[in-house]
Amino acid sequence: MKVSALIFGYNDYTLQIAKNVVHKYQNITIFKLETDPLRGELEEYDVELFDLSDEWTSLEQKHDLEKSIVFCVLEDIAENIFLTISLRASFENLTIIGLSNNKESANKLLMAGANKVIPIVQTTASIIAEMLDKPIVTDVLHSILYEKSDLKIAQIEVNAHDCFDGKYPADIEWSRDHGIIVVSVMHADGSSEFIYSSKSQHHPIEKGDVFVVVGYENDIKNFEKLIGGEKCL
Amino acid sequence: MIRSLIIDWAYFLSTSHNYQATKRFFYNLLENDKYRFKKYFDILMITLIMISVVILIREVKSHVNDFLLFFNNFVISIIFLIEYLLRLWVSGSVTEIIIKQNDYDTMLGQDFNLFKATRKVLRAKLSYISSPRAIIDLLAIIPFFHQLRLLRIFILFRVFKLFRYARSFQTFSSVLSTKKFEFLTLGMFASIVIFVSSVLIYVMEANNPDSPIDTLYEAVYWSIVTISTVGYGDMTPVTDEGRLVAMVVITAGIAVLAFTTSLVVSAFTEKLDEIKETKSIDDIRKLKKFYIVCGYDNIAREVVKKLSIKNDIIILDEDSTRAGIAHKDGYKVLNYNPGSVESYKKLHVDMQTQVKAILCLRESDVANVYTSLTVRSINKDVYILSLLMNDINRKKLLFAGVNEILYPKELVGLIAKEFVGKPVAFEAIHGLRSEYSNINIEEIVITERMLSNFALVSELNNIKYRLVLLGVYKNNIKRFYFNPIDSTILEQGDYLVLIGNSVFIQEFEKYLHKSRK
Repeated sequence: MKVSALIFGYNDYTLQIAKNVVHKYQNITIFKLETDPLRGELEEYDVELFDLSDEWTSLEQKHDLEKSIVFCVLEDIAENIFLTISLRASFENLTIIGLSNNKESANKLLMAGANKVIPIVQTTASIIAEMLDKPIVTDVLHSILYEKSDLKIAQIEVNAHDCFDGKYPADIEWSRDHGIIVVSVMHADGSSEFIYSSKSQHHPIEKGDVFVVVGYENDIKNFEKLIGGEKCL
Repeated sequence: MIRSLIIDWAYFLSTSHNYQATKRFFYNLLENDKYRFKKYFDILMITLIMISVVILIREVKSHVNDFLLFFNNFVISIIFLIEYLLRLWVSGSVTEIIIKQNDYDTMLGQDFNLFKATRKVLRAKLSYISSPRAIIDLLAIIPFFHQLRLLRIFILFRVFKLFRYARSFQTFSSVLSTKKFEFLTLGMFASIVIFVSSVLIYVMEANNPDSPIDTLYEAVYWSIVTISTVGYGDMTPVTDEGRLVAMVVITAGIAVLAFTTSLVVSAFTEKLDEIKETKSIDDIRKLKKFYIVCGYDNIAREVVKKLSIKNDIIILDEDSTRAGIAHKDGYKVLNYNPGSVESYKKLHVDMQTQVKAILCLRESDVANVYTSLTVRSINKDVYILSLLMNDINRKKLLFAGVNEILYPKELVGLIAKEFVGKPVAFEAIHGLRSEYSNINIEEIVITERMLSNFALVSELNNIKYRLVLLGVYKNNIKRFYFNPIDSTILEQGDYLVLIGNSVFIQEFEKYLHKSRK
């Protein structure tokens, strides 16, 4: 369980990330370069200075990096890649999320060791195109993803052994019986499959499978109790 | 008495809905290139002209069927006569002139001056009659008087009428007319050379019995053939003096030909962009529905790439480099300033019916606010989506009339939140949204036809198509019903939100459209 978020960069992206993850982490620390001008709204968080040529010893001493997630959101993409590679070189297991302008810099960030990259241009463009082409779908997905409605999306692991008795995900009427919709199933190898895909149809439900479900909070909780426990209810 | 009758008649016609509608219809049919039926009329007229010319050629050495001759001499001629009279009718408004004159006279406290009004009407109509196009139209009718055999040659004037119907001819002549002065200079130069050389060759050669040039007419003919660099060789000077003149004329001929070619080429080069632009605007006008993208920065480029798969897109960018990139990318682009009302006037599009949305995608809030305000000043209802680069400008964009704002920095925050919260769910949803995955999430709108077969959710049979029905969006109450129960009633305009293989979704949509009976 990660308890700290370390955000490298002192800009609008930093502010938006800090605002959105503040409920999730006990500590949020923002790292700024000495040249960054002071910004009032960011000073509400813990702010520390850093240098791109740092050896990161002080970082390791001050923060429990095993329990931290790092966001690299420097506006200069070359500096952002340099920062990512420098952090990865020092900390092999650190979770790093990077920000890139385009696909080219996204690839470079991944090569530099980022676990996840958010390509701003592609993401924004996709959302604009979706908003125009599929307004209802976009609205529904956003309300689920960004919790604007009572609908939630959750990932639930199957812990019960004998609940499904060798049944396949598509055989069960999830929506009628449990009031939830199973969108996809994540297999042991980490790959995620749509519930009606051929791979899922040939894969009986087993302990350890993770279901990605959409539903109302109570229904999800009930479903979690049903399949998440050791015994089938 | 007559005066008041004329004024009453003028007012009656100018307020008569039927009269004005009829006149507008004929004006559109004859003169308005944007009118969708004009091209059919033009094709009909071109066909009649071609029939006329074919009959003329056939008639030279063979007998032509009497019916065809009748068709050519009477039917076509009468059609052309009617067309001529209609053009004369729509070439200005007699009633308007009379009403204006009456208003003017009333204002000055005078009686209506019928003489002045008649003079103005005649002047207006005569100015049309004396225009080159109207003269050609009139001459094309003359073969109607087929008894005068000589007049049959006037059928050729019907060919000139083609200029009226084929827009490429009009473009060609308008391009060449930009070099009027140069062509005039060239014409003067060629005329002087032809005149001087004709006289000289006549003086040098006419008295020589061996020379084929005996008359001044032959001398002029020789000069023109030589200066045009055609040089048939049927007449050649035989005296040394005559050959000297020939050398001068040949040299001048090369200059004239080179100058003419370069003039035509330069006229077209200069007008090329304009011609292309006119063509682009014509193409845009024909589109039924499209998006206008203002600005072609990085995000716009990606948006256009995605949207252009299923939609028509028009890009406006005042920066020629960016417009050039958009052009290279293969999109319809105009190097216009999206923040200028003039740009939209030039486009001649109906914002209400043709434009799906205006996308202000410059990565500058100033430019987007300016463009939004410009668009709003033209149309109050068109949907505007704008990028926001700095949150402090959000209110300004809203004030400018933007319907939807997209702030990429906020998006990054929301994505980060979702990713750190539910990484598996996040990946699953993004997998559904990704264009590279086969599994897609789509919306299908319920039509009247679908309703006749599928009134309830239970009748949809989506499971057969391996589709998950995530929910139904009730358009009339703007509410999304997640996982609807079987007895949910479907209504026209509702949306089904489905997840599944994109091919199966398409098949399912076809199945919904098909009658089950």
